[in-house]
Amino acid sequence: MDDFERNLSRLMRDTQRHTPYEPEHRQRLHAGIRARRRSRMLWKAGGSAVAVAGLSVGLALLPNMLTRAQPADHDRRPQPATSPTPSQDSAPTFDSPDPSPTPTRPASSAPATSTGSSTPSGSTIPPTTYAPTASASESRIATMLPAPPPSSTPTTVPPSAPETKEPSASAGTE
Amino acid sequence: MEQVRADGFDEFAAARWSALLHVARLLTGGDRQRAEDLVQEALVKLWFAWPKVAEQAPEAYVRTVLVRMAARSARRRWWGERPVEQLPDRPAPGDVSSTVAERSRLEDALAQLSPKQRAAVVLRYYEDLPEAQVAQALGCPVGTARSHASRGVARLRQILSDAIRPVG
Repeated sequence: MDDFERNLSRLMRDTQRHTPYEPEHRQRLHAGIRARRRSRMLWKAGGSAVAVAGLSVGLALLPNMLTRAQPADHDRRPQPATSPTPSQDSAPTFDSPDPSPTPTRPASSAPATSTGSSTPSGSTIPPTTYAPTASASESRIATMLPAPPPSSTPTTVPPSAPETKEPSASAGTE
Repeated sequence: MEQVRADGFDEFAAARWSALLHVARLLTGGDRQRAEDLVQEALVKLWFAWPKVAEQAPEAYVRTVLVRMAARSARRRWWGERPVEQLPDRPAPGDVSSTVAERSRLEDALAQLSPKQRAAVVLRYYEDLPEAQVAQALGCPVGTARSHASRGVARLRQILSDAIRPVG
Protein backbone atom coordinates (compact mmCIF):
# COMPACT_ATOMS: atom_id res chain seq x y z
CA MET A 1 0.00 0.00 0.00
CA ASP A 2 1.61 3.23 -1.09
CA ASP A 3 1.14 6.75 0.26
CA PHE A 4 -1.78 7.51 -1.96
CA GLU A 5 -3.64 4.41 -0.86
CA ARG A 6 -2.95 5.21 2.80
CA ASN A 7 -4.19 8.74 2.32
CA LEU A 8 -7.21 7.49 0.48
CA SER A 9 -8.03 5.16 3.34
CA ARG A 10 -7.61 7.93 5.90
CA LEU A 11 -9.70 10.31 3.86
CA MET A 12 -12.54 7.82 3.66
CA ARG A 13 -12.54 7.34 7.42
CA ASP A 14 -12.04 10.98 8.35
CA THR A 15 -14.93 12.15 6.27
CA GLN A 16 -17.34 9.97 8.20
CA ARG A 17 -19.69 12.00 10.32
CA HIS A 18 -21.85 10.58 13.01
CA THR A 19 -25.50 10.29 12.06
CA PRO A 20 -27.70 9.23 14.97
CA TYR A 21 -30.38 6.63 14.57
CA GLU A 22 -33.39 8.78 15.27
CA PRO A 23 -36.97 7.69 15.98
CA GLU A 24 -38.07 8.83 12.56
CA HIS A 25 -35.50 6.48 11.02
CA ARG A 26 -36.86 3.68 13.16
CA GLN A 27 -40.48 4.45 12.18
CA ARG A 28 -39.56 4.63 8.54
CA LEU A 29 -37.67 1.37 8.77
CA HIS A 30 -40.54 -0.48 10.43
CA ALA A 31 -43.00 0.98 7.94
CA GLY A 32 -40.81 -0.45 5.20
CA ILE A 33 -40.76 -3.82 6.96
CA ARG A 34 -44.55 -3.85 7.17
CA ALA A 35 -44.89 -2.92 3.51
CA ARG A 36 -42.46 -5.64 2.51
CA ARG A 37 -44.29 -8.16 4.65
CA ARG A 38 -47.59 -7.25 3.01
CA SER A 39 -46.10 -7.56 -0.46
CA ARG A 40 -44.60 -10.93 0.42
CA MET A 41 -47.96 -12.13 1.70
CA LEU A 42 -49.64 -10.93 -1.48
CA TRP A 43 -47.06 -12.70 -3.60
CA LYS A 44 -47.54 -15.87 -1.61
CA ALA A 45 -51.33 -15.62 -1.84
CA GLY A 46 -51.13 -14.93 -5.55
CA GLY A 47 -48.79 -17.83 -6.08
CA SER A 48 -51.05 -20.14 -4.11
CA ALA A 49 -54.08 -18.98 -6.09
CA VAL A 50 -52.28 -19.60 -9.36
CA ALA A 51 -51.22 -23.03 -8.17
CA VAL A 52 -54.74 -23.95 -7.08
CA ALA A 53 -56.20 -22.65 -10.34
CA GLY A 54 -53.70 -24.63 -12.36
CA LEU A 55 -54.42 -27.76 -10.37
CA SER A 56 -58.17 -27.30 -10.80
CA VAL A 57 -57.85 -26.83 -14.54
CA GLY A 58 -55.66 -29.90 -14.73
CA LEU A 59 -58.10 -32.00 -12.75
CA ALA A 60 -61.02 -30.71 -14.83
CA LEU A 61 -59.30 -31.57 -18.10
CA LEU A 62 -58.02 -34.96 -17.00
CA PRO A 63 -61.38 -36.87 -17.19
CA ASN A 64 -62.04 -35.44 -20.64
CA MET A 65 -58.68 -36.62 -21.83
CA LEU A 66 -59.30 -40.06 -20.39
CA THR A 67 -62.73 -40.44 -21.99
CA ARG A 68 -61.33 -39.27 -25.29
CA ALA A 69 -58.62 -41.86 -25.08
CA GLN A 70 -60.95 -44.78 -24.29
CA PRO A 71 -62.62 -45.32 -27.77
CA ALA A 72 -59.29 -45.42 -29.50
CA ASP A 73 -58.21 -48.01 -27.03
CA HIS A 74 -61.39 -50.03 -27.65
CA ASP A 75 -60.78 -50.08 -31.41
CA ARG A 76 -57.42 -51.58 -30.92
CA ARG A 77 -58.80 -54.39 -28.79
CA PRO A 78 -58.19 -57.79 -30.50
CA GLN A 79 -61.01 -59.89 -31.81
CA PRO A 80 -62.23 -62.60 -29.50
CA ALA A 81 -60.62 -65.97 -29.98
CA THR A 82 -63.97 -67.73 -30.32
CA SER A 83 -64.70 -66.12 -33.64
CA PRO A 84 -66.29 -68.79 -35.91
CA THR A 85 -64.36 -67.86 -39.01
CA PRO A 86 -62.76 -71.04 -40.21
CA SER A 87 -59.34 -70.94 -41.59
CA GLN A 88 -57.98 -73.38 -44.08
CA ASP A 89 -54.71 -73.65 -42.31
CA SER A 90 -56.23 -75.13 -39.26
CA ALA A 91 -58.43 -77.60 -41.09
CA PRO A 92 -56.93 -81.03 -41.62
CA THR A 93 -56.28 -81.92 -45.19
CA PHE A 94 -56.84 -85.44 -46.12
CA ASP A 95 -56.86 -85.23 -49.86
CA SER A 96 -53.43 -83.76 -50.31
CA PRO A 97 -51.06 -86.63 -50.39
CA ASP A 98 -47.53 -86.12 -49.44
CA PRO A 99 -45.80 -86.58 -52.73
CA SER A 100 -42.33 -87.26 -51.52
CA PRO A 101 -42.06 -90.71 -50.15
CA THR A 102 -44.71 -93.14 -50.89
CA PRO A 103 -45.49 -94.81 -47.73
CA THR A 104 -44.85 -98.48 -47.90
CA ARG A 105 -47.16 -100.62 -46.07
CA PRO A 106 -45.33 -102.06 -43.19
CA ALA A 107 -45.16 -105.75 -43.02
CA SER A 108 -46.62 -105.71 -39.65
CA SER A 109 -49.84 -104.62 -41.18
CA ALA A 110 -50.02 -107.85 -43.11
CA PRO A 111 -52.14 -110.46 -41.68
CA ALA A 112 -50.23 -112.47 -39.24
CA THR A 113 -51.35 -115.66 -40.77
CA SER A 114 -49.99 -115.06 -44.24
CA THR A 115 -47.93 -117.91 -45.51
CA GLY A 116 -44.88 -116.68 -47.29
CA SER A 117 -46.65 -114.85 -50.01
CA SER A 118 -44.54 -111.84 -50.20
CA THR A 119 -46.26 -108.69 -50.90
CA PRO A 120 -44.87 -106.67 -53.75
CA SER A 121 -42.48 -104.13 -52.49
CA GLY A 122 -43.72 -101.41 -54.71
CA SER A 123 -47.21 -101.65 -53.61
CA THR A 124 -48.44 -98.38 -52.29
CA ILE A 125 -51.26 -97.73 -50.10
CA PRO A 126 -53.34 -94.85 -51.14
CA PRO A 127 -53.35 -92.11 -48.60
CA THR A 128 -57.05 -92.25 -48.35
CA THR A 129 -56.69 -95.38 -46.34
CA TYR A 130 -55.07 -93.54 -43.52
CA ALA A 131 -57.10 -92.92 -40.57
CA PRO A 132 -58.21 -89.36 -40.49
CA THR A 133 -56.70 -88.88 -37.10
CA ALA A 134 -53.24 -89.66 -38.28
CA SER A 135 -51.22 -86.63 -38.93
CA ALA A 136 -48.73 -86.20 -41.67
CA SER A 137 -45.81 -86.16 -39.35
CA GLU A 138 -46.77 -89.42 -37.87
CA SER A 139 -47.03 -90.93 -41.31
CA ARG A 140 -43.58 -89.59 -42.12
CA ILE A 141 -42.22 -91.22 -39.04
CA ALA A 142 -43.88 -94.41 -40.05
CA THR A 143 -42.20 -94.36 -43.42
CA MET A 144 -38.82 -93.71 -41.89
CA LEU A 145 -38.99 -96.80 -39.79
CA PRO A 146 -37.32 -99.75 -41.45
CA ALA A 147 -39.83 -102.19 -42.59
CA PRO A 148 -39.19 -105.66 -41.40
CA PRO A 149 -38.22 -108.00 -44.16
CA PRO A 150 -40.94 -110.17 -45.34
CA SER A 151 -40.43 -113.51 -43.74
CA SER A 152 -41.42 -116.61 -45.49
CA THR A 153 -42.04 -118.41 -42.30
CA PRO A 154 -45.38 -117.86 -40.90
CA THR A 155 -45.27 -115.64 -38.04
CA THR A 156 -47.48 -117.04 -35.55
CA VAL A 157 -48.25 -115.45 -32.44
CA PRO A 158 -46.83 -117.62 -29.78
CA PRO A 159 -49.37 -118.98 -27.53
CA SER A 160 -49.37 -117.66 -24.21
CA ALA A 161 -47.10 -119.56 -21.96
CA PRO A 162 -48.84 -122.11 -19.89
CA GLU A 163 -49.22 -121.02 -16.44
CA THR A 164 -46.64 -122.97 -14.61
CA LYS A 165 -47.05 -122.85 -11.03
CA GLU A 166 -43.75 -122.05 -9.56
CA PRO A 167 -42.93 -123.87 -6.51
CA SER A 168 -43.45 -121.60 -3.77
CA ALA A 169 -40.86 -121.22 -1.23
CA SER A 170 -43.27 -122.15 1.34
CA ALA A 171 -44.08 -125.43 -0.33
CA GLY A 172 -41.46 -127.39 1.33
CA THR A 173 -42.44 -126.00 4.48
CA GLU A 174 -45.95 -127.05 4.15
CA MET B 1 -40.40 -14.07 20.11
CA GLU B 2 -41.21 -11.28 17.69
CA GLN B 3 -40.38 -8.70 20.36
CA VAL B 4 -36.99 -10.29 21.03
CA ARG B 5 -36.31 -10.25 17.33
CA ALA B 6 -37.35 -6.60 17.06
CA ASP B 7 -35.22 -5.61 20.04
CA GLY B 8 -32.10 -7.28 18.71
CA PHE B 9 -32.68 -5.85 15.27
CA ASP B 10 -33.23 -2.34 16.58
CA GLU B 11 -30.09 -2.52 18.65
CA PHE B 12 -28.08 -3.55 15.63
CA ALA B 13 -29.64 -0.86 13.44
CA ALA B 14 -29.03 1.87 16.04
CA ALA B 15 -25.43 0.78 16.55
CA ARG B 16 -24.52 0.48 12.88
CA TRP B 17 -26.74 3.11 11.31
CA SER B 18 -24.09 5.80 10.99
CA ALA B 19 -21.41 3.49 9.60
CA LEU B 20 -23.80 1.89 7.16
CA LEU B 21 -24.98 5.26 6.00
CA HIS B 22 -21.41 6.35 5.39
CA VAL B 23 -20.63 3.22 3.40
CA ALA B 24 -23.78 3.72 1.38
CA ARG B 25 -22.86 7.30 0.76
CA LEU B 26 -19.42 6.28 -0.48
CA LEU B 27 -20.98 3.58 -2.63
CA THR B 28 -23.36 6.03 -4.22
CA GLY B 29 -20.75 8.67 -4.80
CA GLY B 30 -22.12 11.08 -2.20
CA ASP B 31 -25.84 10.85 -2.95
CA ARG B 32 -27.30 11.23 0.52
CA GLN B 33 -30.92 10.45 -0.29
CA ARG B 34 -30.04 7.43 -2.33
CA ALA B 35 -27.69 6.28 0.43
CA GLU B 36 -30.51 6.43 2.97
CA ASP B 37 -32.78 4.48 0.65
CA LEU B 38 -30.12 1.84 0.19
CA VAL B 39 -29.56 1.48 3.94
CA GLN B 40 -33.28 1.26 4.53
CA GLU B 41 -33.74 -1.42 1.89
CA ALA B 42 -30.75 -3.38 3.15
CA LEU B 43 -32.06 -3.28 6.71
CA VAL B 44 -35.51 -4.39 5.57
CA LYS B 45 -33.89 -7.37 3.87
CA LEU B 46 -31.91 -8.00 7.02
CA TRP B 47 -35.10 -8.07 9.08
CA PHE B 48 -36.45 -11.05 7.17
CA ALA B 49 -33.10 -12.83 7.36
CA TRP B 50 -32.50 -11.84 10.97
CA PRO B 51 -33.34 -15.23 12.56
CA LYS B 52 -30.71 -16.86 10.34
CA VAL B 53 -27.91 -14.30 10.42
CA ALA B 54 -28.35 -12.66 13.83
CA GLU B 55 -25.98 -15.04 15.54
CA GLN B 56 -23.48 -15.09 12.69
CA ALA B 57 -22.50 -11.95 10.81
CA PRO B 58 -25.36 -9.52 10.25
CA GLU B 59 -23.00 -6.71 9.27
CA ALA B 60 -21.41 -8.76 6.52
CA TYR B 61 -24.88 -9.61 5.28
CA VAL B 62 -25.92 -5.97 5.19
CA ARG B 63 -22.66 -4.97 3.54
CA THR B 64 -23.14 -7.51 0.77
CA VAL B 65 -26.74 -6.41 0.26
CA LEU B 66 -25.66 -2.77 0.14
CA VAL B 67 -22.94 -3.37 -2.44
CA ARG B 68 -25.18 -5.40 -4.71
CA MET B 69 -28.10 -3.04 -4.41
CA ALA B 70 -25.86 -0.07 -5.15
CA ALA B 71 -24.51 -1.75 -8.28
CA ARG B 72 -28.00 -2.82 -9.34
CA SER B 73 -29.55 0.57 -8.78
CA ALA B 74 -26.74 2.20 -10.72
CA ARG B 75 -27.43 -0.16 -13.61
CA ARG B 76 -31.17 0.11 -13.44
CA ARG B 77 -31.73 3.79 -13.33
CA TRP B 78 -29.96 6.92 -14.26
CA TRP B 79 -28.84 8.61 -11.10
CA GLY B 80 -27.16 11.59 -12.68
CA GLU B 81 -23.77 9.89 -12.80
CA ARG B 82 -21.99 10.90 -15.90
CA PRO B 83 -18.22 11.18 -16.26
CA VAL B 84 -17.34 14.72 -17.25
CA GLU B 85 -14.18 16.61 -17.68
CA GLN B 86 -15.18 19.42 -15.34
CA LEU B 87 -17.15 18.80 -12.17
CA PRO B 88 -20.29 20.93 -12.41
CA ASP B 89 -20.92 21.42 -8.68
CA ARG B 90 -17.46 22.00 -7.48
CA PRO B 91 -17.70 23.72 -4.07
CA ALA B 92 -16.40 27.19 -3.99
CA PRO B 93 -13.37 27.53 -1.78
CA GLY B 94 -13.90 29.29 1.47
CA ASP B 95 -17.63 28.97 1.84
CA VAL B 96 -17.53 25.53 3.45
CA SER B 97 -15.30 23.97 5.99
CA SER B 98 -12.25 22.06 4.91
CA THR B 99 -13.67 18.75 6.08
CA VAL B 100 -16.81 19.15 4.04
CA ALA B 101 -14.80 20.24 1.06
CA GLU B 102 -12.53 17.24 1.37
CA ARG B 103 -15.49 14.89 1.65
CA SER B 104 -17.18 16.46 -1.30
CA ARG B 105 -14.05 16.12 -3.37
CA LEU B 106 -13.73 12.48 -2.42
CA GLU B 107 -17.37 11.75 -3.17
CA ASP B 108 -17.16 13.51 -6.49
CA ALA B 109 -14.11 11.48 -7.39
CA LEU B 110 -15.83 8.25 -6.35
CA ALA B 111 -18.86 9.19 -8.43
CA GLN B 112 -16.71 9.05 -11.55
CA LEU B 113 -15.86 5.40 -11.03
CA SER B 114 -17.95 2.53 -12.25
CA PRO B 115 -20.17 0.94 -9.57
CA LYS B 116 -17.99 -2.15 -9.35
CA GLN B 117 -14.78 -0.16 -9.09
CA ARG B 118 -16.34 2.10 -6.48
CA ALA B 119 -17.55 -0.82 -4.41
CA ALA B 120 -14.19 -2.55 -4.61
CA VAL B 121 -12.33 0.60 -3.54
CA VAL B 122 -14.71 1.30 -0.66
CA LEU B 123 -14.62 -2.24 0.65
CA ARG B 124 -10.88 -2.48 0.29
CA TYR B 125 -9.81 0.90 1.66
CA TYR B 126 -12.63 1.94 3.94
CA GLU B 127 -13.84 -1.39 5.30
CA ASP B 128 -10.28 -2.73 5.09
CA LEU B 129 -11.51 -6.09 3.90
CA PRO B 130 -9.20 -8.69 2.39
CA GLU B 131 -9.53 -9.36 -1.31
CA ALA B 132 -11.39 -12.61 -0.78
CA GLN B 133 -14.17 -10.89 1.17
CA VAL B 134 -14.31 -8.06 -1.35
CA ALA B 135 -14.78 -10.63 -4.08
CA GLN B 136 -17.44 -12.37 -2.03
CA ALA B 137 -19.35 -9.16 -1.49
CA LEU B 138 -19.09 -8.25 -5.16
CA GLY B 139 -20.06 -11.73 -6.26
CA CYS B 140 -17.09 -12.14 -8.56
CA PRO B 141 -13.73 -13.97 -8.60
CA VAL B 142 -10.85 -12.65 -6.53
CA GLY B 143 -8.88 -11.64 -9.59
CA THR B 144 -11.77 -9.62 -10.90
CA ALA B 145 -12.22 -7.89 -7.56
CA ARG B 146 -8.50 -7.11 -7.47
CA SER B 147 -8.71 -5.69 -10.96
CA HIS B 148 -11.68 -3.52 -10.04
CA ALA B 149 -9.86 -2.18 -6.98
CA SER B 150 -6.60 -1.45 -8.78
CA ARG B 151 -8.31 0.27 -11.69
CA GLY B 152 -10.47 2.28 -9.31
CA VAL B 153 -7.45 3.39 -7.33
CA ALA B 154 -5.62 4.33 -10.50
CA ARG B 155 -8.56 6.43 -11.58
CA LEU B 156 -8.84 8.08 -8.16
CA ARG B 157 -5.13 8.73 -8.19
CA GLN B 158 -5.56 10.58 -11.41
CA ILE B 159 -8.52 12.59 -10.09
CA LEU B 160 -7.31 13.32 -6.59
CA SER B 161 -3.63 13.70 -7.19
CA ASP B 162 -3.80 17.36 -6.52
CA ALA B 163 -6.28 17.12 -3.64
CA ILE B 164 -4.67 14.66 -1.24
CA ARG B 165 -1.58 15.82 0.44
CA PRO B 166 0.78 13.38 2.08
CA VAL B 167 0.22 12.90 5.76
CA GLY B 168 2.88 14.79 7.47
